[in-house]
Amino acid sequence: MAYTPYDWHLSLQQRTEYIEERLRGGSPVVGTSLAAGILLLTIHQTQRKIFEIYDRLMFAGIGSQSDLETTRIAAIDFAHREGFLRSPHDVTAQRLVGSVLGPALKRAFADPFAAPFVFRGLFAELGETPAEDQFFVLNYDGEFRRLQRVAAIGGSDEAEREMLAALRSSSGDDLGTALRRGLEAWAVGQLLARGSGDEAQPPGPGQIRATIEEALADGTFEAGLLERTTRRSQRFRLLAPAEFEPALAEYRSRG
Amino acid sequence: MTVDPRPWQPGAPAGGSPFPPRARSFAELVADLWPAAPPPADPADVLETHGTTVIAVKFDGGVLNVGDRRATANMAVMFDRAEKVIVLDDTTLMAVSGSFARAMEIARYLQHAFSYYRRTELQEMSLEGKISEVSRAIANNLPMALQGIGAFLPVVSAYDPRTNEGRIFFYDGMGARFETAEFGVAGSGAERIRGAFDYIIRTRKPFREMALDEALRECLILLDIAADLDAATGGFAKVLPVAKAITRDGVLEIEPERMRRALAGVTSLPDRARMA
Repeated sequence: MAYTPYDWHLSLQQRTEYIEERLRGGSPVVGTSLAAGILLLTIHQTQRKIFEIYDRLMFAGIGSQSDLETTRIAAIDFAHREGFLRSPHDVTAQRLVGSVLGPALKRAFADPFAAPFVFRGLFAELGETPAEDQFFVLNYDGEFRRLQRVAAIGGSDEAEREMLAALRSSSGDDLGTALRRGLEAWAVGQLLARGSGDEAQPPGPGQIRATIEEALADGTFEAGLLERTTRRSQRFRLLAPAEFEPALAEYRSRG
Repeated sequence: MTVDPRPWQPGAPAGGSPFPPRARSFAELVADLWPAAPPPADPADVLETHGTTVIAVKFDGGVLNVGDRRATANMAVMFDRAEKVIVLDDTTLMAVSGSFARAMEIARYLQHAFSYYRRTELQEMSLEGKISEVSRAIANNLPMALQGIGAFLPVVSAYDPRTNEGRIFFYDGMGARFETAEFGVAGSGAERIRGAFDYIIRTRKPFREMALDEALRECLILLDIAADLDAATGGFAKVLPVAKAITRDGVLEIEPERMRRALAGVTSLPDRARMA
């Protein structure tokens, strides 16, 4: 039997549906650019989600565990080869996402005989100043977009849109504010992607609060920071509970 | 020298993954980027730049590395601001002597190898693992060294988080590693001053019992003696020496102000009238 353009189109459609359906359940990730550095945060169930890629690059994703892991390793491989061959300054998120990971994901997506790659990733690149910080959101089909100041990935387009709106609606540059604002945006994304929010209007404060309280009781809060000024050679670190618990205290009331 | 200038690109999908198979180590990842061993040459034809004297001593709280700033090629001073104490990561320093080109390249290799391991494996490489990586790098460099170029010898200092103490390792030309109790010294001036370390330990006190500034002062005196006795070792008159310490809190760069204070102690020795 011949494989026609119609079959190809149909297969892409089915792959998209399959992948989107699986991504819907992923816990969102929120990114914020601060004077102190770039912050990524999420709430995970069992596995760590936020990772260091290179000196000024970090990554978090949603999707299949093994697909996230292969992409993480491919990103680290490219960054270290390039950083060693040329210099750390030549390792940029634009190059990583735009010319290495993106085309490879696109090829895999368009190949009807390869297993669908369930992946949505957020790459953050630390600049000298917050204005130079960049985020790249990379999708399973190789498409990517560049964001500044705030970024988010979630289980659906609508979830991501509303998360960004929530992040942009408030300001404040200290870590505590960024953590609380990020958690609220996380909850908006979680509610919308899982379809438990009202489609017509964004979730209300009570709903957001209940979602955060429940998620913190069931899961583990995780935040990664790329520090802008540090004496250490390693800029990336996961925040310690002592640093983020004060900001989370108001949601821990249910004990 | 064959270096592939193309940026890395994912090849054909392997086993359903859009990306090439995973490298087993950083060494494998960059195996094709290393220069091939050069054809046999008369070493006299190669003008190679050498780093000269570097010192590592323990002190109460960690390990201190001090080096002069001179890099020489035969009788010429190539550079008088060479940085011979290199931060490999937040717990490891490498002080280099010998071929400057190979030492710098291997330092970059080691920095990447350590961080590659940390980022892929999600845990720090063990100190033992790092020390072995340095051994392997020296051993891999042997074909070049046997031709009379590219030989270099490092002294590696680390803060061991398991035992909470500073540790010093030195190497021979084939990559054998030796751990030393008090000090390590390498480079052209090393043999001229080696006995002086023992003299200090026996007549004053072990370096490991000294405070940082006290150890720094001793190291500067030793470096000054090396500069007196070895033509290739630079003194302090023009450029400050470089010093870095590794402690429980990470790398501590000795600031110029602190260095000048320590140098004042050195130059106030009788019948010395050196710099202002």
